Amino acid sequence: MYLISKICSELTSIWRTRHELLTRITPKVRCFKIKEPENMSRYPSFKNSIWRRLSFLVVIFTLVYFPLSAQATEKVGYENWDEVVATAKGGTVNWFMWGGADNINQYVTDYIGKELQKRHDISLNRIGINDTAEAVNIVLGEKQAGIDDNGSVDLIWINGGNFRTMKQGNLLFCGYHGLLPNNQFVNWQDPSIANDFGLSVDECEVPWNRAQFAFAYDSARTQSPPKSIPQLIGWVKENPGAFTYPAATDFNGSVFIRHVFYHAAGGPEALLGDFDQDKFDAVAPKAWAILNEMKPYLWREGTTYPNAIASLAQLFANREVALYFDYDPAIFGINVENGIFPETTRSYGLDDGTIGNTNYVAIPYNSPNKAAAMVAANFILSAAAQYEKAKPDVWGAAPAIDVGRLTKEEKSRFTELPRHPAVIDPAALSQKSLPELHPDWISAIEKGWQENVAK
Amino acid sequence: MLMQTNRHTENSRDGLSGPVWFSLILLVSWLVLPLIPLAIWSVSRSWYFPDIIPSAFSLRAWNYVFSNTSDVLPALGVTTLIALCATLLSVIIGLPAGRALGLYQFRGKALVELLILAPTIVPGIAVALGLHVVFLSLGLAGSYLGVLIVHLIPTLPYMVLVMAGVFANYNPDTEAQARSLGASAIQTFFYVTLPAILPGLLIGSLFTFLVSWSQYILTLLIGGGRVVTLPLLLFNFASAGRNDITGAISMIYILPGVVLLLLGARHLTGRSRAVESLRQI
Repeated sequence: MYLISKICSELTSIWRTRHELLTRITPKVRCFKIKEPENMSRYPSFKNSIWRRLSFLVVIFTLVYFPLSAQATEKVGYENWDEVVATAKGGTVNWFMWGGADNINQYVTDYIGKELQKRHDISLNRIGINDTAEAVNIVLGEKQAGIDDNGSVDLIWINGGNFRTMKQGNLLFCGYHGLLPNNQFVNWQDPSIANDFGLSVDECEVPWNRAQFAFAYDSARTQSPPKSIPQLIGWVKENPGAFTYPAATDFNGSVFIRHVFYHAAGGPEALLGDFDQDKFDAVAPKAWAILNEMKPYLWREGTTYPNAIASLAQLFANREVALYFDYDPAIFGINVENGIFPETTRSYGLDDGTIGNTNYVAIPYNSPNKAAAMVAANFILSAAAQYEKAKPDVWGAAPAIDVGRLTKEEKSRFTELPRHPAVIDPAALSQKSLPELHPDWISAIEKGWQENVAK
Repeated sequence: MLMQTNRHTENSRDGLSGPVWFSLILLVSWLVLPLIPLAIWSVSRSWYFPDIIPSAFSLRAWNYVFSNTSDVLPALGVTTLIALCATLLSVIIGLPAGRALGLYQFRGKALVELLILAPTIVPGIAVALGLHVVFLSLGLAGSYLGVLIVHLIPTLPYMVLVMAGVFANYNPDTEAQARSLGASAIQTFFYVTLPAILPGLLIGSLFTFLVSWSQYILTLLIGGGRVVTLPLLLFNFASAGRNDITGAISMIYILPGVVLLLLGARHLTGRSRAVESLRQI
């Protein structure tokens, strides 16, 4: 189901969407620039040419800056929650989300959709997509076409680079957390919730799930799997061909490489914050050396890497490799239930900790159903919806709300939830949680891997 | 003349030689073999690499496909309807265009041909985003009509080029003969032109239908998620590595293609009268 990998598949898509943003804006600029020398020759006077340049700047400024700043100061427009609920009645929410997992699709359509219909008379329209960037592109295109209040996207399952693209492009509806009653269950003091891949959330999205990287192995075949990056290096050499990781273009491959990077840097602390070329240059060679050292002992002698996490899952299922990993440990249980992984699959975190993230839902600035989308976002934060989602036979995703803030009864429901034997206890895993890096760091690491390890 | 034609086709049918049979079997197995694993996947629960057959079977994928959550059956209807309408529109536009290109010489013909070919040369993703903006400003984005119109962009080249090829070998004098014998324009079309171009028209329609049938990125962008077709659902599961559900949706996905091929196959091999009459001259 690879949900987290997909929802935030920004690692492949961030450049695509950003590149688009750039290419969509630059042609306008370019046509002005091309005209410029012509104008200068026609108006040889120094004064004129300066004025021309100034007016050119002013035009560009108003063209690019004004619409952006106008969006940024947009008001939420609702006095209180009752007003939102009243407006939302009878509305439709088009929720764009990665659609590759039948259990998540069923949870969203059958549970959330039915509850929203029953409680608030809202129809939920789940739209399955392959890559979250597709929804981001739709909103981007609408903005370019000047469709500012009648967009086709009301809610997106999002995080990381896609959130960054949307927030920086002023494509999001923000500042409504105070209205949502269930916002009280969210611990905004936790930096891993208040920041999405190092970028402040700023009331522009609502947390939905938490996920933390973990390894899986078949306990019937592998007795003592490696529990840290140094152990892994030794283990790979002792068991040639039994390990590989997806290429950096894959979300999960990229996060594995970041674990090696953290190890090379002696911990994530030095790498947090904005991208720093000097820090990168100091750490990167060590990380590439470790990965290149492992390379000849990888599956197929490291001549090729799986291109997607689904391929690694297939290799693990076919017993070609002995280890699997995923950003969302719930996948281990789901894959066992789906018959993809053997029943004897077990999972674990690393002794030095593993990287965790939060994923969210966001409302685009041009959604015509903002009130209904807010009601939906509020509902998915409710104890009932988060509990349903945490059931191992439904999804098994870790709650995004702080269970400690619930009533005693609700809290005990969460603590008494059975756990799939293949899935590591999220509480134990989260005791050693590492922060996620800024998207600029991630892009630099992915690019560096392509240049220094892949070739 | 009609009897002669029939005898001719019968003769050629009887005379299938060894190499022809061999290539026919090769072609059929090439088409059918890849579908077998998909069919098995759709009913398997666990199927690991060295095993020839799955170690456990389950109807879970089919249950999901036929559940209301999956949207597969409504999507099947939408996909079929859009593909049929796109084919019909392509015929209406492509037939006269193909006739003009196949029968007449005019200034800028090469340029027109190049422009018609362009959508098949330029990658879809490159134009899709620009098209999205155009369709948004026209108010066509997010509607069935918009998706239908955008499907004409990749489908029309196939129809026009196939029809241009057909008309290049077509003798328009037969139409003049029919008219001189008192047939009306409509009668001429249905009794003379259409029978002559029918095999080509069917091939063009088949191409058009299948190209529309398999559109992903254009449907997604222009449909804005409001128009859900089968490829959209299929790609979700294919990229997620869910071989069982991918297999089940694929089985449904290939149905119309197989049905059309079986229906059309009889007509595709038939010889057209106009071409035959040319040969007799």
